[in-house]
Amino acid sequence: MVSAALKPLEEPIEDIAPISAPRRTEIELRDVSVSYSAGKEGSKTVLSGLNLKVAAGEFVVILGETGCGKSTLLRLILGQEFPTGGFIEVDGKPVRSIDARCGYVPQKYSLFPDRTVLGNVMYGPENAKSRFLARLRPSFFSYRRKLRVEAQAQLVRMGLRPQDMDKYPHQLSGGMQQRVAIAQALLMHPPVLLLDEAFSALDPSTRASLQEQLRDVWLESKPTVVFVTHNTAEALLLGTRLILLGRHREDRAGETNLVLDMQIPPSKLPLSMQMQTREFQELLEHVKQLAYKSSSLHLDDAIADRIVEEGNLA
Amino acid sequence: MKQPFSLGDLTGIQVRPARLWSHSLSWILFVAGVALYAHFSIVRHRENPEDRVIPSATQLVQGIKASVFEPAEEDDPLDPGATLVQQVRHSMIWKDTTSSARRFFIALLLLVPAMLIGVHMAVFPYAGAFFLRFVLFFDKIVALSLLPILFIVFGIDEWSKIMLMVIGVAPTLMLDAYNISGSVPREQIVKAFTLKSTNLDVAYRVVLKQVLPQLINSVRLNLKPLALFLFAGEMIASTDGLAYRIAIMRRHMGMDIIIPYLLWVALLLFSLDALLRFTNRRLHPWYQPL
Repeated sequence: MVSAALKPLEEPIEDIAPISAPRRTEIELRDVSVSYSAGKEGSKTVLSGLNLKVAAGEFVVILGETGCGKSTLLRLILGQEFPTGGFIEVDGKPVRSIDARCGYVPQKYSLFPDRTVLGNVMYGPENAKSRFLARLRPSFFSYRRKLRVEAQAQLVRMGLRPQDMDKYPHQLSGGMQQRVAIAQALLMHPPVLLLDEAFSALDPSTRASLQEQLRDVWLESKPTVVFVTHNTAEALLLGTRLILLGRHREDRAGETNLVLDMQIPPSKLPLSMQMQTREFQELLEHVKQLAYKSSSLHLDDAIADRIVEEGNLA
Repeated sequence: MKQPFSLGDLTGIQVRPARLWSHSLSWILFVAGVALYAHFSIVRHRENPEDRVIPSATQLVQGIKASVFEPAEEDDPLDPGATLVQQVRHSMIWKDTTSSARRFFIALLLLVPAMLIGVHMAVFPYAGAFFLRFVLFFDKIVALSLLPILFIVFGIDEWSKIMLMVIGVAPTLMLDAYNISGSVPREQIVKAFTLKSTNLDVAYRVVLKQVLPQLINSVRLNLKPLALFLFAGEMIASTDGLAYRIAIMRRHMGMDIIIPYLLWVALLLFSLDALLRFTNRRLHPWYQPL
């Protein structure tokens, strides 16, 4: 049973800047290229001429082999890295540095080890509310009390128990840590949520449960989600749109671009049941063949272009 | 079922001694040291009852009493009616300990900014570019070779000794702080920025707060080098202090004072180390040493 203190608020908290309705946003990448200096071998191009437009509220899953540039793409959107060519916009503004327009959940090290679960989740909104000496004002303490209730409610929604709130990250399992990390990002209500292999290190049952919760959270508030994974089933279960990154041509080894951009047919079934349907299994097999069996992503340009044009394999 | 102890366990990697065993084993070398000392002392005193190289237990007790309850030779004698507390407050060991401790703690305080510079070097790339090469080079200068320069610049008063300690240990602490702070996962720094942190928030509320227990451990590891530089300074140019007294007593072959002083210094450093370790555990319950 959820204790009285953890019940969702009946009235919205006033004067809490970050806790507001999610804004609609859009991510746009125009002709984006990324090259690294590779010493004596010259430079290595990871992404080349990538164009991608993500509409507000989409759940985009980026799939591809290890080293194909999935995480690089995410870091570009986040502002952690910058393209060597092209242009990136989030929410209509160019990406110039890391900022709070994007919520971020990495695979690991996502929590501050010196803060409790609640401390981790409240860190962002506290920063947004006031800084340094302003935190000594009485108004900040009353804000903090309200925020605490809101943070507890968010954590309970993510499947944490009230007794976990004051634990430190090292006292939690990997799955619990990721739940807290997602709650931490969500409490900021970012217009864009970026998840980088967020469930990769988890066991199958924890992973399935977190997938359900992420899906529920997305259905509830519809932020724009970009989810990087190398798990095909996870990609098809969670996303509304699948982006497959791979190499187009053998003679430009190493360069990655979109080889598939498709809408995933929506389903109202719970994720576990969705996996049992024949349609899902067919789609899964099809994408797997494309991604991992058909020449290991070294697709012929013509095939790749046709797939992108057709848009939907189902 | 628990296996009975066998001799092979002594060389086993996967066996753990029981608590009582572990406790007993940790005292064996202390007991052996005392036993060896007593043996050689008895042998030498049998040959020469006035031997001062390895003082007997009686001589040591007399030395300790003289150190703890009597003023130093250079000080005025106390009134015969002085209380025990007054005797201790005017004793040789009290005077020397307070003098050395004052220098030691001033140096320790001056090392705090050095560690902060190390943290900044790791967090702010421009600070790193500015300081790193110089600190790496400065770290290789043998601090004791700077002693003559320090005496010329600061005179032979307190500051030359304090600066010797600071200059001797600061580069190591700075580099340690730099390495420790640099090992904070990049993901956490990125995450902090997505949570509306400013640069200062990241430096102080994310990185510094997280590496503080390791910085305290670094200070613990540097307590001995710090004491070493203190002793070097005091032995060369001082009129009080624990090392000064040891140097004076060496001239008189006063092993009955030197040995208690050595053990006292070791005990002080051991206690300070234990205090820092305890403080670290209490202040940072989340810290998981590797």
